[in-house]
Amino acid sequence: MAIATRGTSSNYLQRAPSPSGLAEVLDVILDKGLVIDAYVRVSVIGIEVLTIDARIVIASVDTYLRFAEAVNRLDLTQTEVAGLQELRNGGSERKTKGMIEGAKDAFTGDDDKEKEKEKSKSR
Amino acid sequence: MSSKAEDAQLTRSDAPVYVYGVVRSGAVKAPNAEGVAQRPVSTIDGDGLAALATELISQPFRVRRRDLDRHLQVLEAVFEDSTIVPCAFGTVLQSAESVKTDLLAARRDELLALLDRLEDRVQLNIKATYDEDTVLREVVESDAEIARLRGESRALGQAGHLANIRLGELVTTALTARAGADRQRIGDRLAEHADDVVADETTVPVVLKASFLVARDRLKSFDSALEALATDEAPRVMFESIGPLPPTAFAALEGA
Repeated sequence: MAIATRGTSSNYLQRAPSPSGLAEVLDVILDKGLVIDAYVRVSVIGIEVLTIDARIVIASVDTYLRFAEAVNRLDLTQTEVAGLQELRNGGSERKTKGMIEGAKDAFTGDDDKEKEKEKSKSR
Repeated sequence: MSSKAEDAQLTRSDAPVYVYGVVRSGAVKAPNAEGVAQRPVSTIDGDGLAALATELISQPFRVRRRDLDRHLQVLEAVFEDSTIVPCAFGTVLQSAESVKTDLLAARRDELLALLDRLEDRVQLNIKATYDEDTVLREVVESDAEIARLRGESRALGQAGHLANIRLGELVTTALTARAGADRQRIGDRLAEHADDVVADETTVPVVLKASFLVARDRLKSFDSALEALATDEAPRVMFESIGPLPPTAFAALEGA
């Protein structure tokens, strides 16, 4: 779990000692690390699925429309009431991230619950 | 070599073996924790090197979510007070004998050189992400064509689908160019405090996603640089730092 930093830069820097979500864990151990010659390796079921999931990308037209929407949403006159602006902002970026993580979680969903259980046990 | 580590050595030679990583022999005893497939972790010794491994009983090995965590936990436990060359997740060899010959003996020199290179070094994974509204505002204000198209697109509303795509394309191009320059500047400032960098490809709003290899005695200076960077770039870029981690991004052998 990410912890907000001490000191002044606060929200702009988050530090975590260890990866937490599935995407972060995959990022550290899946494509990284020593790779041993294929001929001595034994196949492992599930790795291929993991690799494909980790490489999901968003189609470009969708990206264009998302940025167009975001630019149109922008309030360039800074004089409006701040609270109103906050209400209008946000949303689409989080939605996109959610799509990727959601897809990654889909195939191992059950195990995540298992992990939660283990976590609470160890507390 | 402690007698405990010897006790934990693998004895069967016919079972497939999952390998977490390679250490100098005698440097660590197998962590007293559960490994992948809910099986114990042990060591397989070679000449000057040892592999941290788990003997699998069921074949084929089917990966589960918790196996990812176990792999990382074993690396982290060893890495606390020793040096390890981490293996990629899912490394399974035919037998303990194959670990000795095909890994420890066949790659001995490279592995010893890697252990030297990684000694007293940690990995920090840094991700820098744009605050989208702040950077989009920069783009609109610095590009007359985008500003004009934005006005058009807003006026057309739902009818402006093509105008929207054109606007989005221009914005994406402008953002990508901006991110390229920012990536360079941000990466350079952090690289000054690191021995090596491995950067992943990224797309906006992610500006930089990279692993830095940092000497333990330079961790403080790296972190201060990161803190200063975050302060300088606020509010347009947000930073996330994960680590210190075992140096998984720096464990590649030549020609592997």
